[in-house]
Amino acid sequence: MKNDVILEARDLVKQFTGLKAVDQVSLSVHRGEKVFIVGPSGSGKSTFLRCINMLEIPTSGEVIFQGKQIDPFSRSINSYRGKVGMVFQHFNLFPHLTILENITLAPIQNGAMSRSDAEKEAVAWLKRIGLESKADAYPMQLSGGQKQRVAIVRACAMHPDVLLFDEPTSALDPEMVGEVQLLMKDLAAEGMTMMVVTHEIGFAAEVADRMVFMDHGKIVSAGTPDELMNSTSQRMKEFFNKVL
Amino acid sequence: MKKYVVFAILFALLLPLASAEKNVLRMVTSADFPPYEFYSGSKIVGIDADIIREIAKRNDHELVIEDMKFDSIIAAIQSGKGDIAASGLSVTEDRKKKVDFSVSYVTAKQVIIVPKNSPIRTPEDLKNKKIGVQHGTTGDTYVTENLGEPQRFDNGSTAVVALLRNKIDAVVLDGEPALVHAAKNPDLLILEKLLTEEEYAFAVAKGRKDLLDMINRTLKEMQQDGSLQKIVLHYLAPDVMNDSGNSPVSTPKETSFVEGLQDDLYLNFVKDQRWKYLVNGFYITMTVALAAVILGVAIGFLVAIIRSTADLTGGLTVSNFLCKVYLTVIRGTPVVLQLLIIYFVVFGSIDVNKVVVAIIAFGINSGAYVAEIIRSGIMSIDRGQMEAGRSLGLSYFQSMRLVILPQALKNVLPALGNEFIVLLKETSVCGFIALQDLTKGGDIIRSQTYNAFLPLIAVALIYLFLVMIFSYGLQMLEKRLKKNEK
Repeated sequence: MKNDVILEARDLVKQFTGLKAVDQVSLSVHRGEKVFIVGPSGSGKSTFLRCINMLEIPTSGEVIFQGKQIDPFSRSINSYRGKVGMVFQHFNLFPHLTILENITLAPIQNGAMSRSDAEKEAVAWLKRIGLESKADAYPMQLSGGQKQRVAIVRACAMHPDVLLFDEPTSALDPEMVGEVQLLMKDLAAEGMTMMVVTHEIGFAAEVADRMVFMDHGKIVSAGTPDELMNSTSQRMKEFFNKVL
Repeated sequence: MKKYVVFAILFALLLPLASAEKNVLRMVTSADFPPYEFYSGSKIVGIDADIIREIAKRNDHELVIEDMKFDSIIAAIQSGKGDIAASGLSVTEDRKKKVDFSVSYVTAKQVIIVPKNSPIRTPEDLKNKKIGVQHGTTGDTYVTENLGEPQRFDNGSTAVVALLRNKIDAVVLDGEPALVHAAKNPDLLILEKLLTEEEYAFAVAKGRKDLLDMINRTLKEMQQDGSLQKIVLHYLAPDVMNDSGNSPVSTPKETSFVEGLQDDLYLNFVKDQRWKYLVNGFYITMTVALAAVILGVAIGFLVAIIRSTADLTGGLTVSNFLCKVYLTVIRGTPVVLQLLIIYFVVFGSIDVNKVVVAIIAFGINSGAYVAEIIRSGIMSIDRGQMEAGRSLGLSYFQSMRLVILPQALKNVLPALGNEFIVLLKETSVCGFIALQDLTKGGDIIRSQTYNAFLPLIAVALIYLFLVMIFSYGLQMLEKRLKKNEK
């Protein structure tokens, strides 16, 4: 089951002026797989993740989703992004819309669902995360942990095949990290394909099928969490000592 | 060959049809120069107006009179905005280079008006004095060349009002209008010694020989049958002037303040239904301002989205360049000039309703400011918002419309409101293309009653009232939008 590749990056390069943030990175993700990307700050892991759904246009290289190469300048990019959801470090909820509207905006606008279906589904999601009473509240009235869980639900409302998480808990107060990780674990258990950039090594070790260590824009090492954390590489030892 | 014949016949058939429809004579004038041209109620009358009316009648033309600023008249004739200028025009060498003059219909004198107690008694006393003139008149030219820079007023009545308020020492005006002013203001005196003497004539565009012949022939007829002299006498007899709607300003007799105010209110607003100038002007001002706001917002949105899309994505290079040119030109030139250019140059040879001209001019002008306000709003929104929209599969323009613009507009609402207030007040320069907006309405009342205080204050209060209502509405809207967020 884990043999079919759903998403693949081939030789991705992202060059900023004077800096190669992502340098020839290739990675395949299988359906249902949880890939956690770790590494020191500035190692290019966030940029790599953003290249996957073309929020950053790669300088060169390819992204292949379900066998098709993704062209960031074609109209099909929008339906691709619907299939590959993104959760941001700073939630990026829409402050002018209620929680319910935040979740239903894209499914309704893309014609994927009727308004009533989208709202029914959104309410079901909110019930599941215990926030149904906040349906008509605005993002400003929510705590950080609540906001991030709504943001995850918002991405899920598009019925994505893959979810990308860009440091989903690093902007949260410590006591709120748990509730967000719990929801992510739930989704993982349901078989969602995930790519997660994080500094929470403990959480990564618990959930990841595969862990990828990036440094200076390159993948240095990839394997099971155990393999990486017991690596003999000086650079990786240093890193894990610092974060654990 | 046959084809040409058919065309020739068709042409011959159509020609009389076309000219039959074109039997309209457009007279341009500056209707603030009694007794030659002035408002009586909403109608423009006076020596010039009545003579031209007679000429039109005798030659079976329909007459349309356009009121505009005196210094725009020659340009209006040259650009074809009007057929005949009849506005107490003196024949001068300079003007002869630009337009063709008819035969003279009256000989006019430039005279000096002073307060009765003034030390000025002869033209020689004018040296180093503050002299008021009507901008662009021969009096203006004479004083400028011989006595130094005068104070130039839009019309003679304003100059006389300034003289009554001791803002200036003397006014140089044409003889007949000066007689009227003096008759209505017992404190004023016309010096016996003339400053100059000159010929008045009508002007047409260079080369319009048919029109000129028609005017000259009819003037001759009118001289022979005595109708010309009759018109001139009708207006130069002061008692006739009083009957025609202009009453003398109340002399400083012993009246209480309240009585005086009552009299003034009656004179400025009630008599001859003068309040109608304000009501009609209000209507024009509101029409122009509202339509210009809509046009400006439409242009502003378009330009702002093009500009910020270019900033955010690096695309749309050509459109962005054009938008930048538009912003630079519009924001770099005064709105009055833009209005005049659109009226005289862009629509120079096309007859377009002046309200439409004003809407276009102010709409285009306001669009530039609205564009930059909205752009600043768009750029103030965190880029994560656009990324969140795109990551959910919304297109760039869906994200712009559904996510960015609603937030941007809320942020720039106070600045937009400010721009609309400025726009409303800027429409007060409509008078430059002779559109009778609120300000111009007040000006007309002032030119009829020689009363500066009440018409000016009334107009100012109406603007203030409008802006206050608008500001209140804006405040309510802001409050409602804020409630949404909390």
